[in-house]
Formats: sequence, structure tokens, C-alpha cells
Amino acid sequence: MRIRTKELLQDALKWALPLALLTSAACAGRDPASPPPPPPPDQPNAPTAVSTTPSTGVGDVNPAPNHPTAKVPSDLPIGVSPVLYAISVAPGQEPTPEQVKLGDKLFDDVRLSADNTVACKTCHDPARGFVDHEVTSIGIGKKHGQRNAPTVLNAMFNATQFWDGRAATLEDQAKLPILNPVEMGMKSGDEVVAKLAAIPEYRKAFLDVYGREVNYEDVGRAIAAFERTQFSGNAPFDRFIMGDDKAIDAQAKRGWALFNGKGRCNECHAGNAVNPLFSDQKFHNIGVAAKTSNFADLAREAQGAVDRGNQEEIDRLALESKFTNLGRFLVSKRHNDIGAFKTPTLRNIAVTAPYMHDGSFATLYDVIDHYNKGGIVNPYLDGGMQRLGLTEPEIDDLVHFLGTLTSERYDAYGKTEMARMNGKKGQRPERDTLVATGKKGDTGDVGPTPDAKIKDPSSDGVYGVFDAAKK
Amino acid sequence: MRISRKISLAAAAAAILTAGGVAVAQNRTTNPVHDVPAASANGNLVVGLCDGKTTAEVPGVKPGQTLTPKQAQDVSDRLMNDWKAKNPGANWDDAPKVAQNAPPPPARPAPPEGPVASNGGKQEAHTYGSYTKRDEEIWKASTDAFIEQGRQIFHDAGRLGGTIGVSCDMCHPNAANTHPETYPKYQVQLGRVAMLRDMINWCIENPVRGKPLADDDPKLKAMEAYILAQRKGVALEYGKH
Repeated sequence: MRIRTKELLQDALKWALPLALLTSAACAGRDPASPPPPPPPDQPNAPTAVSTTPSTGVGDVNPAPNHPTAKVPSDLPIGVSPVLYAISVAPGQEPTPEQVKLGDKLFDDVRLSADNTVACKTCHDPARGFVDHEVTSIGIGKKHGQRNAPTVLNAMFNATQFWDGRAATLEDQAKLPILNPVEMGMKSGDEVVAKLAAIPEYRKAFLDVYGREVNYEDVGRAIAAFERTQFSGNAPFDRFIMGDDKAIDAQAKRGWALFNGKGRCNECHAGNAVNPLFSDQKFHNIGVAAKTSNFADLAREAQGAVDRGNQEEIDRLALESKFTNLGRFLVSKRHNDIGAFKTPTLRNIAVTAPYMHDGSFATLYDVIDHYNKGGIVNPYLDGGMQRLGLTEPEIDDLVHFLGTLTSERYDAYGKTEMARMNGKKGQRPERDTLVATGKKGDTGDVGPTPDAKIKDPSSDGVYGVFDAAKK
Repeated sequence: MRISRKISLAAAAAAILTAGGVAVAQNRTTNPVHDVPAASANGNLVVGLCDGKTTAEVPGVKPGQTLTPKQAQDVSDRLMNDWKAKNPGANWDDAPKVAQNAPPPPARPAPPEGPVASNGGKQEAHTYGSYTKRDEEIWKASTDAFIEQGRQIFHDAGRLGGTIGVSCDMCHPNAANTHPETYPKYQVQLGRVAMLRDMINWCIENPVRGKPLADDDPKLKAMEAYILAQRKGVALEYGKH
């Protein structure tokens, strides 16, 4: 017992940090009262904060990443992971209230656009789930962009930004639409800076917050700071998974089982308590891009350019808007990324219609119909795509489950949107029951997926808080 | 040891699985039973060791009562000491032999350095085969969280479903002497070839005095994860475990 006491103490110490992280979202590292200055330039990885990745407690064979991590807010709602926060927010990126206030103001301000008609908010409206419900977004002069506006909610946790992941950070992302000719249409960062600096309240605000004159980097930083406050959890699903069995109804539970089983949604939209985004943040060709009639030709042209290895030719392709459906390929220049787009988060999916990179699916029914038939066949279709054979009641269950991922903040709006989509249940342009049931076409045969009638595929604890109700 | 009984786990599974509605009906037909008397001649609670033979009574505690953590630890120690006295040649570690005792594995190519928010999350080559540092951190944290749940259950008589206050760690501090790498093996107490989960369940029945968990119960899997993680990297010593 002498030895045991020591062992138990060691044990307790080893687990103190992960426990705090996983259960109480404690801050990881720095004293909140005195944020230290950024690391000196010669020590970019100076350990200013401890790693927040929990240790396995089995020694140093696989040490936790020991790069510095951000201070994690102590009041994150359920469904927002403190571990993912620490992974996603770099040290020094923790938003301050002053930065957030400035960023919020910029986010709402049409003066960031060339003709004072479009703000970030125009396409990312906080009242509408931070989207615009347009098929593709409309910029200055009623110009249509190529892509559907993704939500800002939880965008801070994305590994990359934009549908094709071409921006690594929120800061980089925020600066691009302002300069995009079909979005906010400013000619350059300098032009934005000159315009803002001429507005006394902005000049003062930037001086107050960043201690320097307006510059374009700080515009991006301020908007990103605001966006880092737009984490979103606290959905009925979260209450359910944390032990409130009544938080979602029987139909949603069936949908959750299908999500992890026959529906194969978790192939790319897996979630758990550590990573509750329901997105693998990878890029997949699910065939949406192949709906355009000339996709095969475009893909062939793009593939030829890569094969020839002519960088100039590849870059030219990436700039031409007709190639937008090539997706991630335009960034990575890799064959397997042709027609691939980033797996979006499913959180708040009920309030962010329409769907897919081109907004071509009006409702969640269209989305499930698309997957049910195995997507649209094309040479680059993701290997994970196959017909699902979902029945109409199963589609209802899945759609209903997706409605439980709506944050409490959008509870009423989510119900309205779900009702609206239910009203369109009779219009199903993507439905092809013959293909979905294997009576027509060839999109692979259904594999041996778990059968919810025998065993609920969501009951195996993969979400990671299976015992919460007992605490 | 000779009676076999049938336990329907449907009710237990339904109570445990918070993540889904469908309970799993399974039948366990082969476990023998360690017949521990309900009470000693003095009317005290009797606790059975997992060897299926050794028992100890707890003075002042009646059947149906739950032991205090100290009482539970004391009786666990007495049982273990009895067992060690009966098995002087047994190979019993006072502390878990864990991974740091093993030489580190050869280095592999490191994923991109630095916080992930700034590395662009590059996706290389194949969609599924590729991963980023961010992926790695998420996978590791997810695994650690699962192991941590197992650790908590391992140390918590209540969550084990125990009825007398005894938990796994009282005989197996930090999962010492659980030898997960030695399964499958013929387990004498069970009279059959067992997997680690079978032995966990046996210990849940005696001495923890709970109901065995379904083979796919998340709690059982989490405890397996914890036990395996505690031993990761230990060289096998055949014949000694």
C-alpha cells in the first residue's frame, strides 16, 4: 500500500489536466489575468503555455504535441470542445473583447465594399445562421458568385477555410471576399485601408485596439477575432449525448443510428466529444460537381495540365471561373481532388440551406436523396460513395436527426426551417429510388453496414460521453 | 464452478447505453459461478476474490450494505495477501509495467510542425490515407478521452455496477497485473479460453459483485482501452503471466 499511494498520486497527477479539459473546459496554461507577450522572435515555439492535448498516461512513447496552445475559455457550451478549441486557436489568437467589438462592427459594415452595398453580414447574416439562403451569394452590382456561402458558425474550428480550403486561417479568409470583384469588389487592401482610415471612428478604434494605424492585416485579424466568438454548441443532440434521454425524440434517435450505420454519414461526418464538428475536414468528390454537363471535359483538361506539369497552365485553370467545379484540385493540383469539396460541419445544418458548394440542393431531403443514390457517377467519385438503399421513412429519420444539431440560439429559426423543408418534401428533384435500391445503374452495392434492427450502431460509445448520465 | 446460468443483459444494456435507444439482447451461458456465501457464520458480508476460491468476511458489514472505500480497499488487500500467500511463486507486480519501460519505437516522418491553425491543413496525395497534424491531435485526444473514461470506470465501484463498494483498482492499482497482452488464454476460473473482456466481466461478478457487461458495452470497451493503454509497449513474457 506504500507503493500504491505513490502510484495513485502519480496517476491522479497524470490525469488532472485531461480531466479538467474534458469535463470543465478549464483553461490550459496561462493566467487569464495577465496574458504574456507573444514569444520573442528567436523563440517561435517558446513554451508559453502547456499543451492541452491530454496525455495517455502511459509514458513518453507518444508525447503530446508540445507546441504552445491558446487559452481556452472556461465557459464553452456543451457541444463545443475545449480540446478542439486548443487545437484550432493558435496562441495569441484568443480574441479580446476590444478586438471582437471592432471585428463585429467591420463584419456588419457595408463600407467595406466598393459601392457601400455589401457587408460580410450580407451573405453571412447572424439572424439567418450566418448564411444568406442564396444558391450562390450575391455581391456588389447583383453579381452572382460561384459558391454557396458557408456559415461562420464554428468556422473557427475548420482546418481550412472556403469550400476548397484555399485559406489556412480565418484571418486569410476574411481578407479575400473584400477584394473579390464579384463579392465586395474593393481593388486592393490599400484601398480598404485608405477608406477605413478616412473614417475617424475606425482610425481611433484601430489605434485603440492594435496601437497602430489601420492596416489590412489588422482588418483580417479583427474580423477573425469576432468569428472566434461564433462557436456554437448547445443543441438538443448535445443534451441527449450528455445524458438527457428526452432531449431528442425516438425518430431522431433512429436517425442517429442510421447516421452511424446504414446512412454511412459518419464516413466523413464523424463526430465525437473531442471533435464535435461532424466533419473530417477532408475534400471529397461526391458527384455534385459532376452535375454540370461539361464536368468530364473540364476535368480532362485539368488533368492534362497536371500531367504536362505546366505550372503556368495549371494556375490559369485555377483562375478561370468555369473551372470552379474542380474544387480542391484548383488548390492542390492533385488528380484525386478533382471535383472535391470540403466536408462541411453539420452543426446548425437546418438553418443553413441551401446545401453543397454550389447551393444546388434546396433541402436536406435533396441532400439525403443525393447520397441515397450513391452520388453522381464520375471518374473522380470518392471511393466512399455508394448507394444506400434508404427507405422513405429512413430518410425522414435522418433529416429529423439533422434538425437536432441546431444550437439553442437558433431553436425557433431551426424549427421554422425544418417546417419549410418538410413542406417541400413532395418536391424531390434528386430522388431516384430505382438507383438507390439497386434496381438501376451501378454505383456500388450496399456493404455490410450495421443493421439498426439488430444493433444500434450509435450505441457503441464512439461519441465518447456514453457514461455521462451516471455522473 | 459447475453451475451455469443464463443472464439476460438486455435490461442492463438499456440502462447503460445513453447514446441510443436499441438495447442489445445477449445471452451469456458459459460462465461458472463462484459460490460466495451471502453471509459468514457471524452474519458478515463475504467478499470473493477473482480466483474463484478465496473469500474474506468484512466484520461489522452486513450483506446488502456497501463498503466504505477504506473497508473495500482493506478487504481487497486481505484477499490479495491471502492469494499471494497461497501462491508464493506468482509473478505479481507491485506497479504496472508500462510503456516507458520499453525502448521508444523508431522515429517516423513527422507531420507538419506548429499549431495547425497556421499550417494550412494540407491534404497530401490520397484523400483517406493522408492526414494532418490537426487530425493526429484530434485522434490522439479522442483516444485519450476514451481511455480516460475507462480509467474512471475502473476506479469507480458505482459505475462498474458494483454492489459492495469494491472497484478494479483495489487489486489492480493503475491496472497492474492485468496482462492484457496475454489474451486469448485458457482461464482456469472460467474453465474456458477467455479474452480480456471476459476476465473483466468475471471480476465485475466477483469480487466487484456487479452484473457482467455486454460484450459491446461502451464501458467494457473503455476499460479494455484503459488497461491496454497502461500496458502499451511491454514486451511479452510468455509463461510468466
